[in-house]
Amino acid sequence: MSGTNKMICPDCGSEMNYHAEKLDYTAACIEPEAVDPDLGGVLAEVHTCPRCGKMGTRRAQ
Amino acid sequence: MTTLRPLFIPVILGTPRQGRMSEPVATFILEEIAKRDGIETTLIDIRTLSFPVTDAGEAIKDSQFSATMMRADALILVVPEYNHGYPGLLKHVLDTNLKEYIHKAVGICGVSAGGFGGTRVIENLLPVMRELGLVTIFWDGNFSNARTLFDTASKVLDPAYLKRTDKFLKELVWMAKVLRYGRENVPRE
Repeated sequence: MSGTNKMICPDCGSEMNYHAEKLDYTAACIEPEAVDPDLGGVLAEVHTCPRCGKMGTRRAQ
Repeated sequence: MTTLRPLFIPVILGTPRQGRMSEPVATFILEEIAKRDGIETTLIDIRTLSFPVTDAGEAIKDSQFSATMMRADALILVVPEYNHGYPGLLKHVLDTNLKEYIHKAVGICGVSAGGFGGTRVIENLLPVMRELGLVTIFWDGNFSNARTLFDTASKVLDPAYLKRTDKFLKELVWMAKVLRYGRENVPRE
């Protein structure tokens, strides 16, 4: 999944490293349609650029 | 090369109160970490931030504070112990971000008027740090009897604090380096 859809660093254009997922319970109140019913919150991916250190997040795919 | 970029480790002064004794502690920690090669730092005084109190979390994000958290490799919290707990405003400020903290190191300096060096506020903060995605280190800063720790020029009077702070910062920097390497190079399964 992450290997086929890498985030690209907006600062330097490098492929970012997908290193974490975070479950956001507060976001569930704001975006109830985005809640993963098995996990009970909105799952976000966390990516970091190995070249410049820029961090990026997106909703888990 | 990633190793050539300096680590960015801000110090957060975690109380807005008048007469706060955490301020000279934060200044001391800031000076000590700024002396190290390969480290950039800045002081974030929560008194200077203006988050509304009628909402919370990401709904009241401050773009500059979030950018600083996103850029940080580690955090140092300087936190007074108020009735065994942490300042509510500090929690309010920290809660405005979440994903920005993931896989980053945090070291906590507890400050107290009594002799326990803020150990109870540090213990109370640990589960909060964990939920925020921060990685706590096993060295703490414990600043007891805060009113008598510094002279009028904010110089620490007990030299033992220099050695203790050195150990604390060395562990934090090590963890910050390891976690940066992991964030940038080790993919999750």
